[in-house]
Amino acid sequence: MPEILVQYRMEIWQSIGQTFIMVGMSILAAIIIGLPVGTLLFLSRKGKMLENPIVFSTLNLLVNIIRSFPFLLLVVFLIPFTRIIIGTAIGTAAATVPLSIIAIAHYSRLVEQSLLEVPKGVIEAAISMGASVREVIFKFLYVEARSGLVLGLTTSIISFISYSTIMGVVGGGGIGDFAIRYGYQQFKTDLMIYMIIIMVILVQAIQFTGTAIAKVIDKR
Amino acid sequence: MVKGVFVMIQLRNVSKRFAHDEVIKSISLAIHKGEIFGIIGASGAGKSTLLRLMNLLEVPETGDVEVDGRKLTSLSYKKLRQARQSIGMIFQHFNLVANKTVYDNVLVSLELANYPRKDRRNRVIECLQFVGLNSYMEKYPSQLSGGQKQRVAIARAIANNPQVLLCDEPTSSLDPKTTAEILHVLGDVNKRLGVTIVIVSHEMEVIKSICNRVTVIEDGEIYETVAIEPKGIQQINNTSKRLVEQLKKDGEFDHA
Repeated sequence: MPEILVQYRMEIWQSIGQTFIMVGMSILAAIIIGLPVGTLLFLSRKGKMLENPIVFSTLNLLVNIIRSFPFLLLVVFLIPFTRIIIGTAIGTAAATVPLSIIAIAHYSRLVEQSLLEVPKGVIEAAISMGASVREVIFKFLYVEARSGLVLGLTTSIISFISYSTIMGVVGGGGIGDFAIRYGYQQFKTDLMIYMIIIMVILVQAIQFTGTAIAKVIDKR
Repeated sequence: MVKGVFVMIQLRNVSKRFAHDEVIKSISLAIHKGEIFGIIGASGAGKSTLLRLMNLLEVPETGDVEVDGRKLTSLSYKKLRQARQSIGMIFQHFNLVANKTVYDNVLVSLELANYPRKDRRNRVIECLQFVGLNSYMEKYPSQLSGGQKQRVAIARAIANNPQVLLCDEPTSSLDPKTTAEILHVLGDVNKRLGVTIVIVSHEMEVIKSICNRVTVIEDGEIYETVAIEPKGIQQINNTSKRLVEQLKKDGEFDHA
């Protein structure tokens, strides 16, 4: 183990923990809110079961606006909102707010795309069998789109890690922030490189796992 | 109409338009209980739309659709879903759930109908036996041939003991030999289970082989409805030897 890693092991472990909290909350938000939003984006489209131009264009616009913000500006823009929810705009907990919002927008779009790939005929067969909207979603759409949903989440998680690296601006900490403050600003280049290696390993592991799961559950 | 005939499907002045195109122009039609009814016509004549009106996959702008005494066009959404559980449907492209096993594809139709939980397994096996695929239960659709997929779709469609089976071009993506197999299964569904069958097809051979009555559709209107004597399903000999013979025979005709 290189000397410098041993020397900073407390800080490194802490920043890894902060990254896990920030990315973990983003994943939760993506699944709990992004998945339903993406499903509604799909279902409210023209010709779909819950066709509703107002719902569709509102959600569509909202998702586009959030995704077109340069992320750093979104963080700053959301500071008042974060303060209302968390009570403070500074720290790891506060950092999860803008991260969760971009996570929802990011994943809901990928969910919508995955659902669009489900053959129309399968949904039609479900309706002809008397399935309710709920049953169409859970017994047909999600079953048929499941590998796309997993791959989409994998892509999203990797983006969340990338987004989380700039949360130092609001005191969110994390591996990226550590690499910049200690490695870059204190000229400890080797430390910075070690942090980048940790990130690369993390991303590789996530991509590998996601791809493997998607492959196993894809029977198409 | 013959006395004593029970009408299973009744369409009264139904019309349907897509954008500015009137696809079905005020059609009235009665399909009798127990018959195999054919709908034939050129591409774009509206035959598939007419079939899809019978379980309200397409909702008509005007007119009534009545199936087994229930007026579908005036049912609540919930009651319509219940009614659809006794109207089976199969499709040209089978429309199985590719990520479900053969067993689960049939099972889902029982789940949707709240079929008694403890009887589901037996019922799925029974239906798969009926179509001759009980040894394929754990396979996925991608591991099956087109004909086998259509059999699974038929098993799924008959699982809830429907009164009616709607068939939208059921053999149009199958080869002649498999077509004959599927027509045999459909004939069985009609005779052994007493299910009223409506078949839409552009293939005259298919219609002539098993239908009792046939409606010819042209430009969204009924051109004529005729009663026919089903001439039976032709045995298809598809061996290479036979194919070569046929090719040579036709060749001679050209030379003559």
